Amino acid sequence: MGSPRLVGLINAVLLPSPTALFWAASDLLRSGTLFRHVSASIERVLVGFALASAVGLTLGVVLGWFRTLSDFVKPLVEALRPIPPIAWTPLAILWFGVGNAPSYFLVFIGAVFPVFVSTYSAVRNIERTQINAALCLGATPTMLIWDVLIPGALPMIFPGLRIALGVGWMCVVAAELIAAQSGLGYMIQQSRLLLQTQFVLTGMIVIGIIGFVMNAVMTAIERRLVPWQESSKGT
Amino acid sequence: MTQLRVDHVSKDFALRGRADVLRVLEDVSLDICEGELIVLLGPSGCGKSTLLNIIAGFLQPTMGQVLHEDIPVSKPDRRRTVVFQDYALFPWMTLEKNVEFGLKAQGIAPAERTRIARSFLALVKLRGFEDHYPYEVSGGMKQRAAIARALAPDPDILLMDEPFGALDAQTRVLLQEELVRIVAATNRTVVFVTHSIDEAVFLADRIVVMSSHPGKIRSIHKVALPRPRTAETRSLPNFINLTQELWDSLKPQWHDEGANAVRSQHST
Repeated sequence: MGSPRLVGLINAVLLPSPTALFWAASDLLRSGTLFRHVSASIERVLVGFALASAVGLTLGVVLGWFRTLSDFVKPLVEALRPIPPIAWTPLAILWFGVGNAPSYFLVFIGAVFPVFVSTYSAVRNIERTQINAALCLGATPTMLIWDVLIPGALPMIFPGLRIALGVGWMCVVAAELIAAQSGLGYMIQQSRLLLQTQFVLTGMIVIGIIGFVMNAVMTAIERRLVPWQESSKGT
Repeated sequence: MTQLRVDHVSKDFALRGRADVLRVLEDVSLDICEGELIVLLGPSGCGKSTLLNIIAGFLQPTMGQVLHEDIPVSKPDRRRTVVFQDYALFPWMTLEKNVEFGLKAQGIAPAERTRIARSFLALVKLRGFEDHYPYEVSGGMKQRAAIARALAPDPDILLMDEPFGALDAQTRVLLQEELVRIVAATNRTVVFVTHSIDEAVFLADRIVVMSSHPGKIRSIHKVALPRPRTAETRSLPNFINLTQELWDSLKPQWHDEGANAVRSQHST
């Protein structure tokens, strides 16, 4: 007890040094392990996010437009929304077993609400005169949705999509800690069991970097798709 | 011949949290002929914008009906397009795409749409700005684009709801002259809402003066001024006399309305 060597040893396990992390990362890269786990996680988050976007956008546009319908459905949505995605994990495993499906589902649960809420309020907030303008110009229902409601709502929908992707990314890692045989979450969990903290930390850092890149990509897409937004504020 | 008939139209609005209703229009009847430029003039609260919205089909009258070529108006359609005070251009579309909107709705092929849109943008003197977004151009240019957009689907009637109200005085005068030229070039029926007496006299074939609480037609004035109307029109004796006459008849109302505004401020 109290020997400096022993203290040094314990610290190295609990919190590995930067050099240890560097070697751990290069090991993981060289063996292809990191790539395998990263692509598994990214695939899951993209599938879940795509499902969440499809459902969230549709539901948001429909409920934003049909007010009477929204009076019935919105309370149900609002009651489901506060349940943390993690709390769905046991059910997800029971329903979908162990594989990709529970991860898809948990990402979906995490991502669908931000998409829905932003789309819903965006559609509600579209200027009445713009809708009237479209109607008097003879807009068909298809044009009203695709050329007016959706682009009109996009500036408000995009922040929702960005948040949703971030939440989805957190959810996939959480899901993999428990309910998967691959992915960054799984890698972290396995490394913990083997007390390989250098891999745990490497995994965490990679999660952070990928989350950052995803956000940057979404922001770039947003600039491309909403070019009128930046300078049109207030007009 | 009569193109649009407003037939004993009344409109009530429900008041939030109260059993009674607010009567905004009471028994308004008006016949509008093809090619005529009608101005609805009156203080705010006289229901002139409500009447325009009913003609457009955005609102349904509580009583009476609007007939467009003898067929009751039940919803908006492209034979009656609207120019709004706040332009209501689609900010996510270039000016050209905005003008193309009504043409696309009719299923016209893209190349033809572009051709028509460009010719209307040229008509409102926006050649060279086809690929600009609305936020990149001035208020006056936005409103020109909105006029082009409303004309492109070839409507019978152009409905204009205080279209120049948000513009500065100089731009306003210029656009009034432009509008007169454009209307002459396209030979369209126009219903134009304003609270500016000058604007009404300069533009109108007939001025429908409305009074408020509830909105009613108070008098109708034929404007005996020659066309084409130009900057010189404003110095003709007829212009000055009619402007003065309208001022005198509307002044007491504006007075009342000022008093009402003060009263309603106190009551809230």
